Amino acid sequence: MSGRRSRSRQSSGTSRISEDQINDLILKLQQLLPELRDSRRSDKVSAARVLQDTCNYIRNLHREVDDLSERLSELLANTDTAQAALIRSLLTQ
Amino acid sequence: MESISPVSNQVTQPTTTTTSTSDRSRRKRRKKSQPSTVDSSSQSSQSTSLEKWRSEKQQQIYSTKLVRALRELRISQQPSSSSSNPRGGGGGRAVREVADRALAVAARGKTLWSRAILSKAVKLKFRKQKRQRVSNPTTTNTRTTLLTTGSIRSKKQRATVLRLKAKGLPAVQRKVKVLSRLVPGCRKQTLPVVLEETTDYIAAMEMQIRAMTAILSAVTSPPPPGHDGGHTHMLG
Repeated sequence: MSGRRSRSRQSSGTSRISEDQINDLILKLQQLLPELRDSRRSDKVSAARVLQDTCNYIRNLHREVDDLSERLSELLANTDTAQAALIRSLLTQ
Repeated sequence: MESISPVSNQVTQPTTTTTSTSDRSRRKRRKKSQPSTVDSSSQSSQSTSLEKWRSEKQQQIYSTKLVRALRELRISQQPSSSSSNPRGGGGGRAVREVADRALAVAARGKTLWSRAILSKAVKLKFRKQKRQRVSNPTTTNTRTTLLTTGSIRSKKQRATVLRLKAKGLPAVQRKVKVLSRLVPGCRKQTLPVVLEETTDYIAAMEMQIRAMTAILSAVTSPPPPGHDGGHTHMLG
């Protein structure tokens, strides 16, 4: 795998990257997605489907992070309780 | 004579053996060090990138960084929050940026997206100063300049992604282009690079969400059972 990677880096200037490498990467991506992880039918799940689901998943993750950071900022606005609780959380971790 | 010779033999033998073993050990160490670094680098870049983001240790490292950064943020926001306006929306974006920056630091600069996030934080300061100077005469001028640069950027994106005719399907190309816009720092990258960055980025974001949820649940000490359940569904 390391040999393949080095070869791909050298040849990426000439843009001759084999489909196998791309399929490997897409397979790896597929295993990250919670929807497509369970049904590992690599024949039936097309690359376009994997990419589409990846885009949606990343947008969902962004939305979650935004939501969590909103809640954290609300917490930070309440100074006294937040400070004590943060210190507590650091100690317990 | 007889007594000396075996002693000398004994003396010489261990020295020769020690030197030979030391040489062998040195050679072994040298041989081991080279392939071990190669293995660790290849492993860390491919298979263990996921494990890295899913390990407890990494999450704890990130959580402590995040808490420290949040404390500094709170201290800097305190003089402004003493005023009557509650900074709910603006504060959220600041927290998001802080969390992303902490995540990028936790990535140790090995990935494109982490470097892009860190350089964004520096560039934003310059851009804000430039925009303030430009927007003084007319606001419409800035809007048109932004639009034109946007169109030029999209043309350049198409050129670089289309050059790779490995997967010539237009649907795949379009989706990879959209994906490259979602992942920071991947707009002008080749297809395999975008896919690799995406895998690492997704794993990192999952860890970020886990750490932030843990901090929130630790800080809001009487936990309402409904909230946490709703937010942990995403990660399964």
